[in-house]
Amino acid sequence: MRIEARDLVLRYGEVTALDRLTFELEGGKIYGLLGRNGSGKTSLMSVLSAFRKQSAGSVLLDGAPVWENPAVTSAVSLIRDAGESVDLGTAADALYFAEWLRPTWDAAYAKELMELFGLQPKANVKAMSKGQRSAMGVVVGLASRAPLTMFDESYLGMDAPSRHAFYDALLADYMAHPRTIILSTHLIEEVSPMFEEVVVIDRGRLIVHEETERLLARGHAVTGAAAAVDGFVTGLTVLGEKVLGPTKSAMVYGELDAAHRRKAAEAGLTLGPIAMQELFIHLTGGPK
Amino acid sequence: MFDDRSPIYRQIAEHIKADVLSEALKGDEQVMSTNQYAAFYRINPATAAKAFQQLVDEGVLYKKRGIGMFVSPDARDALRAGRREGFFTDVVDPMVNEAKAIGISLDDVIERIKGEM
Amino acid sequence: MRFPTRLLAANLWVAFFAWAAYLVLVIVITLAIHFFGNLTQSAWEQAGQLPRWVVLFVGVAMVRQFLPLFIANGQTRRQFGFQAAITTALYTPFVALLMSAGYLVERVLYTIIDRPQSLERAHLYTDPTQVPLVFLEHTVEFMAWITAGMFMGAGFYRWQAGGLLTIPVGVGLVVLGLSAVGARFGVPMSGFSLGFRIPAGPVLTLVMGLGTFALGLLLTWSVIRDTPLRNGG
Repeated sequence: MRIEARDLVLRYGEVTALDRLTFELEGGKIYGLLGRNGSGKTSLMSVLSAFRKQSAGSVLLDGAPVWENPAVTSAVSLIRDAGESVDLGTAADALYFAEWLRPTWDAAYAKELMELFGLQPKANVKAMSKGQRSAMGVVVGLASRAPLTMFDESYLGMDAPSRHAFYDALLADYMAHPRTIILSTHLIEEVSPMFEEVVVIDRGRLIVHEETERLLARGHAVTGAAAAVDGFVTGLTVLGEKVLGPTKSAMVYGELDAAHRRKAAEAGLTLGPIAMQELFIHLTGGPK
Repeated sequence: MFDDRSPIYRQIAEHIKADVLSEALKGDEQVMSTNQYAAFYRINPATAAKAFQQLVDEGVLYKKRGIGMFVSPDARDALRAGRREGFFTDVVDPMVNEAKAIGISLDDVIERIKGEM
Repeated sequence: MRFPTRLLAANLWVAFFAWAAYLVLVIVITLAIHFFGNLTQSAWEQAGQLPRWVVLFVGVAMVRQFLPLFIANGQTRRQFGFQAAITTALYTPFVALLMSAGYLVERVLYTIIDRPQSLERAHLYTDPTQVPLVFLEHTVEFMAWITAGMFMGAGFYRWQAGGLLTIPVGVGLVVLGLSAVGARFGVPMSGFSLGFRIPAGPVLTLVMGLGTFALGLLLTWSVIRDTPLRNGG
């Protein structure tokens, strides 16, 4: 499902959560939506799913506006922490309604997922542990098979084994039923290998939209003697630096060509990759 | 050695190459699908597909439309030739440098190697 | 637009079992009064107070629980509004039917124990076995209470504490419903019939009742038509 946001603005009173956000996603991929707390991730997904109406600008899914457009909203699923998809009596009740409301619902798959996560259909969802409630969200989100499926960190309430079960289920189901999936997360190292593309937003604005591999290929840790590192990085985009005695490591963002590599080798510098998490931290301005 | 590819990307390619060298994967044998690799490594299938594409470009694998990926009949020989070429620069030179740095005489090294051979 | 099968079924199901349990409880209390006190009037009439509040809370839950659920499952507010309207329009007569049935069960009981099933207050009906009138009165009342619940539920869902401001309007809807029935508050509009020559009685009650229901739905729609889903639970 193709996603186009143009000059998207969302305000909560005085607070501007999305600030003329413009981007385009081709669809049919797993996207990572990264941003710090309060960067606008949840706001963006809320607008994409018509949980909220944008204050200005437009958002189109396959060319059609989202707000109050049943043809579009029926193709979108957003699972959040707030739990509106599952908070209704027992687990079975929530599935009963999801089955009726979702044109693409797969009841057999929902049952399989319930068993995978050890969820009891008779259990009251609000009385479940945080992890189980998150797992309920995952069940509804995956079994909806919505052409645009979004998980907003809700799955972070699950423990590590359950999260891994979720990742495995998500990948398997995505490969069997290709669709557009957006995951927002703080566990970047854990989740980012599943992203085909990454969208980073900060203070409601787009910072980066790039293929994961290409984004990673743009980050370089240049390590060596401090003076040599300083000489090498002149003119390059430096995201951050670390110094250990006479050794310095600079994080450089951008493509390095053969000439750069030769220069680095001659200066006795090593070039290494930067982990997604580290890149993210520096692209969004370091610790605040 | 410069390598900006993400570790997982490299891991898959290296894994397959190692299997080819050790003959765990023989010429004209089918390799697992990108989806199987993606599920195994818990990575995006597009990433796995790119690793495969690179192996195709390098001539290690070839594609049969609609069936899957196969090991090139001459892949092992080519990989061995390539590794041989890099053997001295990638393996021996660093070893010699290390020996020098920590004060092991080259005679000792040679003796040891002869003992192993 | 689809017929809200499951939304209706779930609510009717719960209503039926709640009614059955409540009926048993009321019969037990009735018998207790009969054996240990002096049973002079219909207990089911007194018992009719609680179901109104239950219906009001069904209205609240309709918005508070089902609006977010429906939107999270890909429905538009318009689709939800339509389904909620159909559901409440059918739910209220169903509960009214259950209330009417309650009187009939009670009549059987009172006949057996030989007590008068007299009514304490003025109603559209003068005898609990006048089923059409009993049914009409309850339907009209419940329609007012359920939309009052939906409207206030929508107010609190959207504005949290600001929802307090919807309470007077909700009370207004309930009062309208009661006046339509002509109970307790009298029928303020029966004297002047808006130029139409509608005789006071069942027809006026029906017209006013449906009018109140429509008004309540419109008021609710005005709140939910562009409400955002809450970020918190």
